[in-house]
Amino acid sequence: MTTNILLITLVVLAIIALNTKKLRRAVVYLGVFSLISSFLYLLYGAPDVAIAEAVIGTTITTVLYLVALKKYQIFTIYFCSDPNDPNRRNLTNNSPFLNSLESFLVKREMEPQIIYSEKPIKTILTQDKFDLAICQTDQKFWIYGSVDDYQLDALEDHLLTNHGDLNIHLIRYTEGDDNEA
Amino acid sequence: MTDNSEIITRMTGLLYPFILLFGFYIILNGHASPGGGFQGGAVLAAVFITRYLVDPNRCIRLRTLKTAEKILFVCIILYPTFFLFSATANHTELMNLIYLIAMNFLIGLKVCSGFTIIFFRFAFYEGGIL
Repeated sequence: MTTNILLITLVVLAIIALNTKKLRRAVVYLGVFSLISSFLYLLYGAPDVAIAEAVIGTTITTVLYLVALKKYQIFTIYFCSDPNDPNRRNLTNNSPFLNSLESFLVKREMEPQIIYSEKPIKTILTQDKFDLAICQTDQKFWIYGSVDDYQLDALEDHLLTNHGDLNIHLIRYTEGDDNEA
Repeated sequence: MTDNSEIITRMTGLLYPFILLFGFYIILNGHASPGGGFQGGAVLAAVFITRYLVDPNRCIRLRTLKTAEKILFVCIILYPTFFLFSATANHTELMNLIYLIAMNFLIGLKVCSGFTIIFFRFAFYEGGIL
């Protein structure tokens, strides 16, 4: 009975790992997959295979994949909004704007990484490393991107065609300037 | 992985001796219980890999590990051949036991250094920025 449940879980986890959009999540699902399969080996009476699977499949392969993902292009997005806004939380968690931005980046073979921040936009612009900073103040989106970033033109096109109603301002800045805009 | 969390650093610092102990237990008890050289070596290699997670910038002596792996490989080839060809007359129980434990130990160390070399080569030379 237990083995049957675990075997079905294995199949489900494999399908989930194949169908996730983000690679990092797929790596985590694979780690869980090999952990469960090592438990299955234990139930089938092969403890030494279980040890090998647990160490190699769960630890070493997961870490190797995570290091490999670092080579993969990661597009860091800072999203900061007013901390006093009452419906900020459901906006950041489930906004169609961010979702479409993510799917755009996935389509261009980049791994989106969104960081929600409550710091004011100026400190983010001067202190943190980012590819795109989005600042939301009452229905206006201010998007900051570097001038050198060649992805920005395509991004602007995409945003204007799909979210023309959202009052989006795109600001290009050169690094090292102070950005009063 | 670049910025280290305090919790992970402390906890893995606490866990090192236990992982090492467990690895050596698996290797040295491999002839009697599940496990053996390969599994124990993989557990030992996990120590080095978690050390990378704790402190990525600390360098590791890859060159020493490489020479150690080569020497161990030669030992692994030489020891069974000598064992098989020298004492052909009678293999006592004790001799077999010593042979098994020594082979497990050699294989464990070899696997440990091999895994560590693979991982650090991958992390340092293929991973780009660290």
